[in-house]
Amino acid sequence: MESLEEIRREFLARLDQIRSESDLNELNQEVFGKSGRLTAILRTMGQLSKEHRAAMGAAVNEVKRELEQRVLERRAELKKRAQELRFLRDALDVTEPADFSLPRGSLHPMTQTYREIRNALVGMGFSMFDGPEIELDDNNFTLLNLPLDHPARDMQDTFYINNKVLLRTHTSPCEIRALQTVKPPFRLIMPGRVFRVDEVDATHHPVFMQIEGFVVDKNLNIANLKGTLDSFVHAVFGDNVKTRLRPSYFPFTEPSAELDISCTICGGSGCRVCKGTGWIEILGCGVTNPHEIMNCGYDPMEWRGIAFGVGVDRMASLKYGISDVRLEYENDARFLRQF
Amino acid sequence: MKLPKKWLCEYVDFNVSDEEFVERMMWRGFELAAIEKELPEVFGVITGRILKLEQHPNADRLKVCQVDLGDKVTQILTNATNVFEGAIVPVAYLGAKIKDMTFSAANIRGVDSYGMFCSGKEFNLTNAEYPNAEDDGILILRDDTPLGEDIAKVLEKDDIIFDFDLTPNRPDCNSIIGLCREAAAALGQTMREPVIKHYGGSGTALARVSVQNPTLCPRYCGRVVTNIKIEPSPLWMQRRLRSVGLRPINNIVDITNYVLVEYGHPMHAFDLSCIADSHIVVRNAEKDELVTTLDEKQHRMDEDMLLIADPQKGVGIAGVMGGLNSEITEKTKDVFFESAVFIGSNIRRTSRKLHQSTDAALRFIKGVEPVNAFLALERAVELVTLLNAGTVVGEVIDVCSANTSERSVLVDVAHINSLLNLNLSGESMLGLLNTIHIRGSVEGEKLRLSIPHYRTDIESGIEADWDIAEEVGRLYGYQNIPAELMTGATFRGSIAPQFRDEDLIKDTLVGLGCLEMYNINFTSPSALNTLKFDKDDERMLAVKLLNPFGEEQSLMRTNLYSGMLDTCVRNVNHKTGHGRFMEVGNVHFDNNLTLPEERRMIGLMFFNENESFFTLKGAIIRLCEAFHIRNLRFVKGGAPLFQPGRKSLVYCGERLIGEFGQVHPDVLDAYGLNTPVYLAELSFEALTGCKPAALAYAPIPRFPLVSRDLAVVVDEGVEAQSLVDVIANTETALLIENVRLFDVYRGAGVKSGMKNLAFSFTLRAEDHTLTEDEIRTAFESIIAELEKNGAPLRK
Repeated sequence: MESLEEIRREFLARLDQIRSESDLNELNQEVFGKSGRLTAILRTMGQLSKEHRAAMGAAVNEVKRELEQRVLERRAELKKRAQELRFLRDALDVTEPADFSLPRGSLHPMTQTYREIRNALVGMGFSMFDGPEIELDDNNFTLLNLPLDHPARDMQDTFYINNKVLLRTHTSPCEIRALQTVKPPFRLIMPGRVFRVDEVDATHHPVFMQIEGFVVDKNLNIANLKGTLDSFVHAVFGDNVKTRLRPSYFPFTEPSAELDISCTICGGSGCRVCKGTGWIEILGCGVTNPHEIMNCGYDPMEWRGIAFGVGVDRMASLKYGISDVRLEYENDARFLRQF
Repeated sequence: MKLPKKWLCEYVDFNVSDEEFVERMMWRGFELAAIEKELPEVFGVITGRILKLEQHPNADRLKVCQVDLGDKVTQILTNATNVFEGAIVPVAYLGAKIKDMTFSAANIRGVDSYGMFCSGKEFNLTNAEYPNAEDDGILILRDDTPLGEDIAKVLEKDDIIFDFDLTPNRPDCNSIIGLCREAAAALGQTMREPVIKHYGGSGTALARVSVQNPTLCPRYCGRVVTNIKIEPSPLWMQRRLRSVGLRPINNIVDITNYVLVEYGHPMHAFDLSCIADSHIVVRNAEKDELVTTLDEKQHRMDEDMLLIADPQKGVGIAGVMGGLNSEITEKTKDVFFESAVFIGSNIRRTSRKLHQSTDAALRFIKGVEPVNAFLALERAVELVTLLNAGTVVGEVIDVCSANTSERSVLVDVAHINSLLNLNLSGESMLGLLNTIHIRGSVEGEKLRLSIPHYRTDIESGIEADWDIAEEVGRLYGYQNIPAELMTGATFRGSIAPQFRDEDLIKDTLVGLGCLEMYNINFTSPSALNTLKFDKDDERMLAVKLLNPFGEEQSLMRTNLYSGMLDTCVRNVNHKTGHGRFMEVGNVHFDNNLTLPEERRMIGLMFFNENESFFTLKGAIIRLCEAFHIRNLRFVKGGAPLFQPGRKSLVYCGERLIGEFGQVHPDVLDAYGLNTPVYLAELSFEALTGCKPAALAYAPIPRFPLVSRDLAVVVDEGVEAQSLVDVIANTETALLIENVRLFDVYRGAGVKSGMKNLAFSFTLRAEDHTLTEDEIRTAFESIIAELEKNGAPLRK
């Protein structure tokens, strides 16, 4: 009859040698199984005296508990080692190329810029309004205080369809449509394509995109214009950009102004893009001219407007440092993919 | 408008830095376009005296000069023959720049040279400006010239020219006097206003003027000068003209140009001997009357155009250009000076119709005014006398129907304050306005202001408050008005549904791998022909531009296809490696209404080796799914630009929402493409109009589903969808949840002309787990239904 201690020692020694789970099961069976060695000891316990039996039982149980615990540990170890081996075998070269079912699409930089501008203004209570690309001369010019043969018509060279119909040269005719159909007070943004007879070069394109902002309410003023534009510029270009509102002239606003921002390229120290001035003009704006309000049937002493027109192409160019506006209409994937 | 600093200083003291001046002008609405030097493109050229002149040891033609530059002596080689010891010359020393050339040290045949001597040509100098400046060789400077001095200063060409952008409402500032008025105010000074001396001529005027159309010519002033001596104008006048970019010609032309620059009023000088009866008649032209202008172009006039004539013939087109037949020549003895007001709108029309745009015409278009017309003539006569260019005869001939009395406006102080968000007193406003010569008094809550004659932009009517608010605003300074957010009514900002739909379309397609295109809206008749549209297809009804860049861009696009194909060509040619593009844009149709019909379209273009008819179809379905549109039908058909048999119309229920297909090889050939291209065009309105009004949640099924496959053999001509419909519509007690064609097989085992279609479908009951019996019964009824429809199970 082997001693309990012998069984224990041999078991532990063999346990250390075991390399697989099946070997472990075999060892387990040999010791704890029906005809196992420990089971054999237990079977002989009936022959012992009562006191011995209790002591022996306690001793066997202790060894059994210990060994079972060791088996559990060993089993976990083996499992872990097997998993590690599998991981090693399955390891990937993470630098191998990715697998795509689709190419990467992207929104045009102008769409992205337009959405940023729009979202900033919608957050300030603006809603949206749409107008047609082919417009009446009346809406594009005459009702905006630009009667026939007004010299300021030459500021915007126009594509005509006939003497009454043209391709809108700006989004401002939407102001007329808004005044004719929406009851003031209102805050509207009007995005869209506009057209001018400009030969194509790095800074001119006959087709481009504008967003018009138009607010009509009772007590609007230049300070409101400043506040609105500041908020919107900071939303699009960040809080560090400085603005300056500078007097200018447009027939449909009075007082009129242009908004400059500190150069987004050089930060205001002067570079080629800002022609050394540190400032870049981004939009024209003003208090709506009283003639425009009257032309649409409202009393300019009661209702006042503030308006601004932003060139989305220009904003996109500034935001991304695009030096040639032609790129925005050539749809070269090598350009579009960058956004 | 160019403003030379020296000219400005004649009227004001320049008491700030150039930068400060420019900034102050900017705050007053005068943006700087450029700042130029009178002697452009010459930097760092200084004067030096040749101390010693020796022959170059190794070069016959070169001389070695020791040159005193004032603070140092340097060595310079020259091949000039007119230099001598003791001569003072301009030296482009190390680091100097002339045009694109920067001077550095050189070694010529073993001798060092540290720069170059300059000739008069380098500074575009004339003999009138400096003695012997046009001679060959080096410019020899006067002996009392200081050494080491900047050459621009020595030649008195060291002026700075401010070039300001003018806004169209300030034609008065398109003149030195006008701009100096604003500059004086910006510098906080009172301008030394020029006073013109009136010269009364001897005898009576030798000419007569009749104005037949005073509406188009509210003032016509003229003056006769006899015994003209045509000669170069004096140096000071030439210098001034050059400094604003004008080329001196002769005293008479220079005087009119000088007055144009100084007073901003265009004048014209006629040779009086060429005016029949010395009688100027201002009248409308007759139809087809011919006039030849100074530039030798013949113009055919019409009755709307204003003509300057004598009793026999036209001698000039009013406000545009003088006639060749009355030009000032070397033989001219007597001159008739014209200074008139012509109405800008009429001149604008004439100038456009005749394609004759001149500086004078531009000035009339922007607006001139009657008081200034008179002043300009007086100034011209003063200059004639000062320059001793001729004898002034008689008095001013003045035919004037214009109101030249001072205008006054009444404006509301509170209203102006509220436009600017300021709280200025009437007196403070007056103080600001006085600086630009608008004077007046406070009358209760109002200001009574008298407006200088040249401020034609300030209206007397309803706009006066706004006009004066603009002046007060810019004088007070927009920079001094604090920004404020809008108050008053509050608004719920929102993105209107059509804009949100556009976002969803673009975002979905981007998610499907598309790059977004912005194609331009112009197309051409030949592009429409290339796309093979039928004669009666509405896409042939393109809107035509009256004034296009050319035939290639003469129409507004009726479809997105041609723009997309252009983009395809560019990307294929540049091998950009991307084959999925999309666009949302407008097309127009000429439907004989006042405004053409505008429709927003969605364009899709797939074109590389991974793409097929079915990848494009998949993208269309995914796009519709983004709008929860599921009941799509694909029906054979589509525009002729697609290859027959490879095109489909897309319906949602009964509504056509678009078409797509593989582009016809003929069209590809026309675009020079040899890769298959798949295009789709969907109607924005139709697609978004098909989306369900609201989404309602359907409970998630609680019982398991069962999948089964089956295959049938059918004629090639049978459309897969018809069998899907047969299966889906089979009457069984169970729910057929989904039917899908998963394989099409042709070849061994299948008779030619036939195809094997394999379908997979799923069954489910809403209220219990399916039993084998139920599944078998359903399966059999599906097979029976297929057989009834000529699609037997594959054996």
